[in-house]
Amino acid sequence: MSSELPSRVNGQRSAAVLIPLLVLQLALLSLQIKTPSGTLLFKSWTMAAQAPVLSLFARITGGVGDFWRGYFWLVGARAENEALREAVQRLSLLNGAYEQSRLENERLRRLLTLSDSIERRALGARVTARAPSFLANLVYIDRGKRHGVRVDAPVISGEGIVGRVLLVSADQAQVQLITNPGAAIGVMLENSRTPGVLAGTGDPLLELKYIGDTDPVAVGEVVLSSGLDGILPKGMTIGRVVEVEKGKGVFQAIRVKPLVDLIHLEEVAVLLDPPITETSSRIP
Amino acid sequence: MKYIFLALSSFLAIIAQMIAGENFFLFNFLDLSLLLAAYWAIYRSRMQALFVGSLTGILLDAALGWPLGYNGFGRTLAAFVIGQCWKRFNTADQPWVRFSIFAAASCINSASIYLLFWFMQRSSSGIFPGASLLQAVITAGVGVVMFAAMDGYRRIQTHKAH
Repeated sequence: MSSELPSRVNGQRSAAVLIPLLVLQLALLSLQIKTPSGTLLFKSWTMAAQAPVLSLFARITGGVGDFWRGYFWLVGARAENEALREAVQRLSLLNGAYEQSRLENERLRRLLTLSDSIERRALGARVTARAPSFLANLVYIDRGKRHGVRVDAPVISGEGIVGRVLLVSADQAQVQLITNPGAAIGVMLENSRTPGVLAGTGDPLLELKYIGDTDPVAVGEVVLSSGLDGILPKGMTIGRVVEVEKGKGVFQAIRVKPLVDLIHLEEVAVLLDPPITETSSRIP
Repeated sequence: MKYIFLALSSFLAIIAQMIAGENFFLFNFLDLSLLLAAYWAIYRSRMQALFVGSLTGILLDAALGWPLGYNGFGRTLAAFVIGQCWKRFNTADQPWVRFSIFAAASCINSASIYLLFWFMQRSSSGIFPGASLLQAVITAGVGVVMFAAMDGYRRIQTHKAH
């Protein structure tokens, strides 16, 4: 047994030498022999031996690359995505604010144009509140006695008449909309100049009273203020005829739709007394 | 010194084989370089025998004008086979065992060369298997006689020393 061990070790050593020697001989041969295509066998073998290693390496690097791109880059992409999302939200808000400013600017421009056409001083005001009951048809504006607002002062918007001031405090005023059941305005039809009274009903539509059954009234005709009520200036647009019923009595039953969108009212102008000769408008 | 002797003996074996083959036809079938590798495997070092096999094989390839490596591969393998078989089998006074080992090593040498030719150059001589068998028989026969004589010589030397 004791002699077997060195012998086995010697055998293993010679086997360890044998393989490199055989490989060396093969390598030597491959450096001298060419393939039918003229390539040295050594090159051909080297390429053949390289192929799986390169393929494996490419797979590993590809996998690592995919992992890197798919994971680590995505971490950055996620943070970037969040930052972009925040930026988009911020810009959306900003854009919304700009859009609101643009719309407000348009409304104010119309209001200013209308105010300029009236020979009374106009005071710009913002609608701050609406009466708790929708049916009340009352709104509050941020101008009061301190700003020169008086009871019964007409309130207009870019499209036409909104109503009149009902109550006034130092910095606030309550405005009775033309749709209020208590509201009544001296008006006339634009084409026939027939006078009448436009009364609120509490509904979105107004009622045009005291137009004779034989007076010509057309659907779509504009209703203007007549100035006979001593409150509103003459010739201001109020609404447009939407329904006409004849033959039910002495007067026609006429329904008028206000030109002003009273539900989405935001900016208005209060016409101040006394009338002035020179046009001066102050819009906040 | 040992390695110089190794290289020199390898070189001389090839020269001797070439000269003998030129003058005596049958010596063309005596593989002296294989017997030299066998000598190193049996009496010296099995590991060194591998180098002897490689070196004599390459020198023979060079002498034959073949691509270097065919005989180097075959003789290295043959030297390994002889060394391993000599270790595993009882070869003392067993001429047929010795003959078989030498013949097998010679056949392995020839077969490996034949296979390498086929594998690398897709061609091999038609007479190669027959010539290889003859070479194996002659080399094994000469090897048995030579190593028996060497054993006797060593035995005498050992006896004298005692």
